[in-house]
Amino acid sequence: MNFPPVGSLFDWPSIWFEGTFFAINKTVLIYIGSVIITMVIFLLAGRRRETLVPSGIQHVAESGVTFIEESVVMQTIGPEGKKFMPFLTTMFFFIFFSNITEVIPVIQLPANSRMAVPATLAALVWLIYNVVGIRSQGFFGYMKNSLFPPGPPKALYIIVTPIELVSTFLVRPFSLAIRLWANMVAGHLLLVTFAILSATMWAAGGLGYAGALFLSWPMLILMIGFEILVSFLQAFIFTILTAVYIGGSMHPEH
Amino acid sequence: MTRRTRYIGWALGLGVAAGLFTASPAAAVPETIGSCVFEKLVELEESGSSLEALEEEGEEAVVAFSDDLEKCVEAPSLIIPEIDEIIWGGSAFLVLFAFMVWKGFPAVQGAMNARAEKIAADLDAADQAKTEAARIKSDHEAELAGAKAEAARLIDEARGQAEQVKADLVARANEEVAEMRARAAADAEAARNQALADLRGDVSEIAIGAAERVIRTNLDHDTQRALVDAYIDEVAGRG
Amino acid sequence: MLNILAQEAASATEAGEFLEGLKAIGAGLGYGLAAIGPGIGIGTVVGNAISSMARQPESAGMVRTTMFLGIAFTEALALIGFVVFILLLP
Repeated sequence: MNFPPVGSLFDWPSIWFEGTFFAINKTVLIYIGSVIITMVIFLLAGRRRETLVPSGIQHVAESGVTFIEESVVMQTIGPEGKKFMPFLTTMFFFIFFSNITEVIPVIQLPANSRMAVPATLAALVWLIYNVVGIRSQGFFGYMKNSLFPPGPPKALYIIVTPIELVSTFLVRPFSLAIRLWANMVAGHLLLVTFAILSATMWAAGGLGYAGALFLSWPMLILMIGFEILVSFLQAFIFTILTAVYIGGSMHPEH
Repeated sequence: MTRRTRYIGWALGLGVAAGLFTASPAAAVPETIGSCVFEKLVELEESGSSLEALEEEGEEAVVAFSDDLEKCVEAPSLIIPEIDEIIWGGSAFLVLFAFMVWKGFPAVQGAMNARAEKIAADLDAADQAKTEAARIKSDHEAELAGAKAEAARLIDEARGQAEQVKADLVARANEEVAEMRARAAADAEAARNQALADLRGDVSEIAIGAAERVIRTNLDHDTQRALVDAYIDEVAGRG
Repeated sequence: MLNILAQEAASATEAGEFLEGLKAIGAGLGYGLAAIGPGIGIGTVVGNAISSMARQPESAGMVRTTMFLGIAFTEALALIGFVVFILLLP
């Protein structure tokens, strides 16, 4: 059983422009593909149709938007968070379509198992929630509210303030990026493990046929279902954490 | 039910396809460490050099080559993002975000709002139609009640008029009867008076004539007449 | 010279293999240990979320959102263990 080094499972060779900053590999193609898919969905759904009940693609886009509005924005920011709806919707669909390629036949690589986009998005989120916090509370107010949260007795601020400093300005973006990335890496590794296991058992013949057919291959199918759920859930969690951070800097805890 | 079976069918098909594609051995094998080292050695030989030549070049060349070989063992780091992917992924996200702000999101939101407005408008219209219907119904009921009252009033009026007419007629008839009776009585009185007067004249004439004839010589005319009148009055008072 | 290089390589491989083995053990142990706490934590979060959803089904939506948030925060610890595991692997 020849298990490839983990790193080379994810690092795909460049297809065009190799060696430049604009090299295109499979991951980049997946990103572009998910952008195009989201655009097509929203373009098709945006055509005015005088149907009372949305159907097909329209339903996909509208239930996505409604989902973001009701389960993410209203639960975390409140009605004044409506202006972040386009950003959060874009984020959700982009991450979801980059994740779901994990289980799409032929593609089978979650684009977010590369650190690039999770890190970029996390940096963007970091920028946005800090800017929102400074704009809505003023620089000193924002710093005061995030570094000296009301509640603990004065002496405890010696401990609380450094913790808050690290957790608000350092850990948040890293945990955001790593959560998405690590979930996708883990999922891809799971799928690869069971796939290689199946192939190896099948190649071994004899008892291996039974093992592949009744053990590892059903497990693979099960894992694919689980990974669909994880893809959705990670997109949702990334979006809702973004909303929570934005909401937290919009109105500080009382 | 058929829908669910269709979904299950799709899921199964997807799973089978995914399994087939992932499980193909070619999908899983990049180059191994051994083959990498072998390729590096072959490259070295082909470039006209050799390990001996490297040794003659000195310590640094050997170290450089062994570093080169080390790279075969090192897998690319997973956690360090690649610059090209950051550029492409970030710009893809920004392009998508720009598109969503510019067109996609407003369109979908607009469609949803339009639908919500349409439903609200339909509900309003239904509500209005309902109140309108209720209004019309109450109008009709009021009109009906009015008509009934009108009819009753008309009937009453007619009845009253009839009573009036009847009373008028009766009164007029009574009046006429009374008048006729009075006139008849008056006529009769007049006739009687006339007859009495005539009679009295005639009688007195006759009596005078007769008395004159009887006692023309004794009495003057006036005294005799007074006597006769007195006598007749006495008779009349008695009669 | 080939002999020297080979010898060098051999000793290097020996030490390297030892190091590799230690890394593998460390990675496996590290991930296993890192998964214990978050496992218990996620269990607690989901269990309490389910019992509160059962108690008040009308607030199930809010509880579910909060539950996912709690899971996300708890899961971060396990993921850091996983990252260390990935980084220690060859």
